[in-house]
Amino acid sequence: MRLLLVEDNERVTRFLVKGLRESGHTVDHAATGRDGILLAASAAYDVIIMDRMLPGQIDGLAIIEALRKTGNRVPILILSALSDVNERIRGLRSGGDDYLTKPFAFGELLARLDALRRRSQGGDAGTSLEVGDLRMDLLSRKVARGARSIALQPREFKLLEYLMRHAGQVVTRTMLLENVWDYNFDPQTNLVDVHISKLRQKIDADAEQPLLRTVRNAGYMLSADA
Amino acid sequence: MRRGIRLSALNLALGYVLFGIAALVCFAAPLWYAWQVTIRDGRAEILREDADRLAEVFDHGGATGLAAFIDARVGLKIANERILLFTDAAHRRLAGNLGAWPRRIPDRPGTYTAPVDLRDHRSEAVFVHVALPGGYHLLVGRDVAKFAPLEVRFWLGLAAAIVILSIAAAIGAVLIRRELLTRIHGIRQTVSAIMQGELSHRLSTRGGDDELDTLSQTINRMLDQIEQLVHGISNVSNSIAHDLRTPLAELRSRLEELTVTRPPPHVTFAELEAAVGDVDRVIRIFNALLRLAEMDSGMRRSGFVPVDLAHVGTEVVELYQPAAELKGIGMSLRGSKAALVAGDPVLLAQAVGNLVDNALKYTPLNGHIAIEVSQRADGFTELAVGDNGPGIPDGDKPKAAERFFRGDASRGTPGIGLGLSIVEAVARLHGGALRLEDNHPGLIARMLVETGGARP
Repeated sequence: MRLLLVEDNERVTRFLVKGLRESGHTVDHAATGRDGILLAASAAYDVIIMDRMLPGQIDGLAIIEALRKTGNRVPILILSALSDVNERIRGLRSGGDDYLTKPFAFGELLARLDALRRRSQGGDAGTSLEVGDLRMDLLSRKVARGARSIALQPREFKLLEYLMRHAGQVVTRTMLLENVWDYNFDPQTNLVDVHISKLRQKIDADAEQPLLRTVRNAGYMLSADA
Repeated sequence: MRRGIRLSALNLALGYVLFGIAALVCFAAPLWYAWQVTIRDGRAEILREDADRLAEVFDHGGATGLAAFIDARVGLKIANERILLFTDAAHRRLAGNLGAWPRRIPDRPGTYTAPVDLRDHRSEAVFVHVALPGGYHLLVGRDVAKFAPLEVRFWLGLAAAIVILSIAAAIGAVLIRRELLTRIHGIRQTVSAIMQGELSHRLSTRGGDDELDTLSQTINRMLDQIEQLVHGISNVSNSIAHDLRTPLAELRSRLEELTVTRPPPHVTFAELEAAVGDVDRVIRIFNALLRLAEMDSGMRRSGFVPVDLAHVGTEVVELYQPAAELKGIGMSLRGSKAALVAGDPVLLAQAVGNLVDNALKYTPLNGHIAIEVSQRADGFTELAVGDNGPGIPDGDKPKAAERFFRGDASRGTPGIGLGLSIVEAVARLHGGALRLEDNHPGLIARMLVETGGARP
């Protein structure tokens, strides 16, 4: 992925650029909002990572609005220390596509970047999803693994649908809570893990090749590749 | 400040006096005018009628006849209130009870007021002067001084009214100063004391419902809330210091040990992972605190939408169901089909989640958690979460929702001591409250949310 990072804090920049490059991405960096706009206009990026507090009291949201006005449709992930819901809503309204609160786990950032890129490439508008021999029919709401049909609760269906739509990508617990349950708070118990393990029992129960894997320190991945 | 209050009491009294005098004048002036006009006109008319009668006598009997008639009337003292004078063209007296033509009465006929010398005294009189044929003059008058005492009484009465008014106003001012201003002074002193940090002070109230008392009661309620918030903040600051110290101390020792012992990489990385866990715990505490602060500010109220509390309960129960099953705990949800309230769906879900989370933590294996949503008669919608765990001792119940409070039962369980605080803050934000009661055995936590808010 080709990424543009707009962030003025040197230490955070160094950490992010290094981490993202090691994960196989190309990263350009702008330390000010002005440079950010110039870079964004000069090259085609897959995702822009935008910090909110930029030098000169500039809010990253203003930069995003300026970018969107020029017709730039690149997915933007907003990074911010402002965590409350109103700020989050403002961020998404100004044209951002996702909002990640500082401090965050690096795995969370990677997973969200992946999800954003996938979304911008146009979600499959088809009526069915397929990962390996796991098939989901979105119209009849039926799920089958090979020849074995699997009965799922509505929420399990939604959870599996999200995982299948992001097949091959790491999906974090927070992303699941936000997208499957619409909750943006952190339940104290590892509830997502419990739901995942229930789902795993249903889809991977007696399969030779498990599809749903736990990615250490990050989340989960549904993938047909071993 | 004191001068200001004195001045305002004085001003108030002065204002009352001036207002009273103005009212009196407004009342007395037309009266006085009407009286004057009526009496003067009436008097002039009587005199004129008298003069006309005398002129008739003159017409019939001539000068001698009129003189005789006047002499007879003066002699009979019928006209003891009348001043009569009949003169020839040169103003020489022909008959009457007045010695000579008053100098101030002009030659032309008309109505005049002039000083006059009566037999025993000097007075003021009103005269009607009639010119008779043949150059004769007739003067019919009446002593005005007779009305002077009445006039004096009128003025005296008015003066007395003004004096009484002033005294009443002065007494009123004193009473106002004593009653109103001392109460305001008291309020000011209490508020000054509070401003200097004595948050426990309260305004004195009389239990009445006059305006000042109502104001005092309102201020007191405001002070209760401020005190609670301030205490909350200082408690929280202390608790934050304590609660953050623990994970930070662990983190520090972990990292320090690494730099000192320099263990092999696999041990180092395991320790670093644990260190990240410590940091995550600190972040979780901060996030919870930020959310509490957000709610305390009341800002979230702007995003209220109609929310079905029963639906929120169903979703939360569904979220926690697998975790409950792992512990062999049964969860049941009962209640009204739709319990609409105005609220923030995410916050309500978090609050219900915290209650269920708590219940799960303390309910023993194979226990039971009952969640019930009901619309109460007192204007609240209630979501109750009851468990059959150890419960909370009565003494700890009021403190349980305090920030960072952790009862004996919670020692050794994971948690940051903010769960119930968040529930309480959410309930308060929604106009309700959190009540912790005995479930015999166990705890039943009732979250009350204002129902009325749901109506647009």
